[in-house]
Amino acid sequence: MISSTYVAGKGLIYHFDARSKLLLTLVLCIEVFLPVSPTGIYLLSLISFLIALYATGMKQALSPLKTILPLIIMMVLFTPFTYTDAPAAITAGNVQLATTEALYHLNLLIARFIAITYMATLFVWTTTMSDIMLTFQWYGLPYSGALVITLAFRFIPFIADSFKMISDAHSLRRVSSDTKGRRRSRIFDILPTISSALVFALKSIPNLAATLEHRGYSTGHRRTRYRTLRTKGPLFTHFLICVIIATSFYLLFSL
Amino acid sequence: MNESRPAMKIALVSVLTAVTVVFTLLVRVPTPIKGYISLCDVVIVFSAYLFGPWTALLSGGLGTGIADIIGGYAQWAPLSFVIHALQGLLIALIAHRKTEEDGTADTASLGAMIIGGIIGMIVMAGGYYVAGGILYGFQAALVEIPLNLMQSGVGVVLGIAVAKSVSKAYPPVRNLYW
Repeated sequence: MISSTYVAGKGLIYHFDARSKLLLTLVLCIEVFLPVSPTGIYLLSLISFLIALYATGMKQALSPLKTILPLIIMMVLFTPFTYTDAPAAITAGNVQLATTEALYHLNLLIARFIAITYMATLFVWTTTMSDIMLTFQWYGLPYSGALVITLAFRFIPFIADSFKMISDAHSLRRVSSDTKGRRRSRIFDILPTISSALVFALKSIPNLAATLEHRGYSTGHRRTRYRTLRTKGPLFTHFLICVIIATSFYLLFSL
Repeated sequence: MNESRPAMKIALVSVLTAVTVVFTLLVRVPTPIKGYISLCDVVIVFSAYLFGPWTALLSGGLGTGIADIIGGYAQWAPLSFVIHALQGLLIALIAHRKTEEDGTADTASLGAMIIGGIIGMIVMAGGYYVAGGILYGFQAALVEIPLNLMQSGVGVVLGIAVAKSVSKAYPPVRNLYW
């Protein structure tokens, strides 16, 4: 099971400081909900897509679009029903399919959703998981909070593997061989498999707690601290670039 | 839980967060309409019943948020964090269990578990409806309500069954409530 989202690639975005990158992502995600033109939002999506394309290649860059395609289809199907009191824009015979207002809002929703998807994805693709964790720490995530997340990442592969082993062991004892029976059996079989996997995972808790205590985490006091994020050039410059991009976008495209 | 062992709390929340991620991404049950539902709600409900509001809030929120990031839906991560954290918190608060002086907790009644589970279902389906409505329109978000209700309903049913079977199979879980 892959528990990292980092995609190795090229481009300036990989050298941009993770803290300013997160701030820029958040600010731009908020800005697309302010009164800005859909053209500006599409431009933002296009730039994000082009950065992803240059950094990671066509196949990778198109993958977020594939994941949100079903939602875009739902928007196309259902948004026209919300805005019906405006001049018709698309008709089939005497039936009004979509009004001008519906098309405007549909356009805005799709642009906004693609922009948010690409900006959030670009951030997690171009920042290593450890840098994301250090960024959250820098923004004030408590020591124990960061510890929980790092330990969870350490346990994900272990629990995924043990679940698979337990599931395989349980599947050996299936009786039915016909497809319908197998599917029904699989649904009923899930309960003992889940219980076994949970007991297996829960049994690791006392050992993990003891290990933490041996490492000095006994009274809530920390003996270790997280390393500081390094950045190319002064951090101030990275934040300045981030502010310039966010402000320019709003000034250029606000309605 | 023994309050003088904060490492136990960290270990409990970490392992349950990892379990939530695995159950969200790997464990899926096929539905009659050729789709799949994830079992993240089973772990959230199970955590709420056996380990209390704080564990359910933290492991439910963090687990589903991390699963969204790993699964390629990073834009949903903050929303999933809030919705599932609230879901876990409310279920645990409603199905509240009394803690004995020795730190063990008695079992919540089935009625409280069911009411807590139903409130959790409403919070989950309602939360995603509001979030989806803001992101891609309220008409389109309506379509997801039945699917979310089905997923969280399966979560409640399996969560109750798993909580009962795990507390029988591994009695030390009774000491982990906080």
